[in-house]
Amino acid sequence: MNTLMPSADTGLPQISGRFARWRLEVSILFRIQFATVKDSWMWIILMATLYPLATFLFMRFYTVNPSEEMIVQIIAGNLVFGLVVMGMNSLGQEIAMQKHQNHFTFYASLPISKQNFVIANLLRGLMNTVPSLLILGVLTQVIYDIQLTLSPGLLPVMVLSLTSVVGIGILLGFWSPTFQFTNMLCQALMMVISFLSPVMVTMEQLPYPLQWLAYVMPTTYAADAMRTILTAGWTTGVMLDCLVMLAFTMISLFAVHRLIGWRVSD
Amino acid sequence: MQEILYEAERVSMIYKKGKYKANKEISLQIRRGEIVGVLGPNGAGKSTLIKQLVGHLKPTEGRVLYNGIDVYKQTRTVAGQVAYFAQEPHVLNALTAREALVFTGQLRGMPKSRAMREADELLERFEIPEARDKQLKRLSGGQKRMIGIGTALIGHSPVLILDEPTNELDPAKRRLVWELISEYNLEGATVILVTHNVLEAEQVVDRVAVINHGRLLALDSVAKLKQRVDQRLKFEIQTAYGASDEVEEVLKGWGIIQRHGANRMNLLVNKEEAGDVLNMIISSEDLPVDEFSVLPPSLEDVYFHIDHEGKEGAGA
Repeated sequence: MNTLMPSADTGLPQISGRFARWRLEVSILFRIQFATVKDSWMWIILMATLYPLATFLFMRFYTVNPSEEMIVQIIAGNLVFGLVVMGMNSLGQEIAMQKHQNHFTFYASLPISKQNFVIANLLRGLMNTVPSLLILGVLTQVIYDIQLTLSPGLLPVMVLSLTSVVGIGILLGFWSPTFQFTNMLCQALMMVISFLSPVMVTMEQLPYPLQWLAYVMPTTYAADAMRTILTAGWTTGVMLDCLVMLAFTMISLFAVHRLIGWRVSD
Repeated sequence: MQEILYEAERVSMIYKKGKYKANKEISLQIRRGEIVGVLGPNGAGKSTLIKQLVGHLKPTEGRVLYNGIDVYKQTRTVAGQVAYFAQEPHVLNALTAREALVFTGQLRGMPKSRAMREADELLERFEIPEARDKQLKRLSGGQKRMIGIGTALIGHSPVLILDEPTNELDPAKRRLVWELISEYNLEGATVILVTHNVLEAEQVVDRVAVINHGRLLALDSVAKLKQRVDQRLKFEIQTAYGASDEVEEVLKGWGIIQRHGANRMNLLVNKEEAGDVLNMIISSEDLPVDEFSVLPPSLEDVYFHIDHEGKEGAGA
């Protein structure tokens, strides 16, 4: 079926069908985004792997006879950390950089959706993150000689872990008053997630006030779901964690839809 | 009578809690199918107005209507019909010139085959077919700018809004851009362009909006604006090296002086006083003028005249 028809108003042929239009937009926006990293793709994967791998090795060297539970905690923490770095830190910084390099002027001049721009950025980020997660997963199993449960539920857990924090990254990027400030803010958030929330450690290891703070952080549920699914597979606990992450996703995407815009005065 | 396409109603932009006004109560109408040039010095508020017209900047007061719809409320609809070029598209730097044009065309709704054909035609027309498979970041500044203009031209949108399209281009490329603008207009496109290049714009624009200090000082056809100065003549003067201040001091009482570089200036005088000025320049042995010529005023002189009137009005 020919999906192209001329528009009476503009004379331009318009692509009919919302899905076809959506797919075309995302595909082109992704190719524009991908073009910026295709020359340095391997380096980006390496750098994305470096931090979780270094943290993992640090825990390995400084933890004497770790229990299996502790090992899974570290592995799950590192996997969640990789997704969070991509969805919040990298996405926020990338969008902020594009904002301050006036890329939005180009995008805002075209009849495209800002959500598709975000999806294209996310896909590009995933391209860099997924290989590093796989490398990390395989390496950790080999080094610690433990068998993780690879449930099909791992996929929704990974997706929700990502989408539950994406809204924060997008808001940080679009709101960004200066690139340096956004950069600093993202680094600070990463510190909180790394060391002051139950991602690398268990909830019980944190001081009482931080435990309360942890309840409002999507990463808490992401790490818990990841840890459980890697050891016990899909459980009611994982499902509840996924529901909470879904709620975080919906709220943040609603906020993104209402609060962000291409325009300089937004 | 031509249909009104754009209408700005008392549009203002006030930054930082009222401390700085980028434009003030600008009202104008732009008709379908015309070419309107927006002229004004740096910081006059031209680009602010253009951003308001394309819906990138929400006016703090007033509104802009495109075909009767508020541009800021339906930005995607407007973006589908208005092609806007503001600067080189750095976002496309990693793409080849052809990809940049084709992708932009497709995002505007063109089928891929047509976008590819039109991209090739534009590259031929720009006389840079060798840039086709090169990344934009590997092209010269002028070539990149041409591709940027190409991203606005591809798809033949009904409205073209171009902010300083000929900046940084060599004379041949500038002429080509003006030719293309005229061609697109002949095909029916409405064109709004900001430019400093008044002399070149004069050849293509139907009407001119003169803006300074955020205010619209005039909006009229070139012919009608020229009538404002048809009782005047222009002296183009080249002074001796380093003597411009001295010459300006002597001539400033006769009319409006506009300096061009270190040793050149234009003097706009009333026709009845032109003879006296001519006599003075010829007979004065001490006046360090190397060369001069007398011409009818151009659009550029009209612009300076209106700007001068605006400043006097503001000062009164």
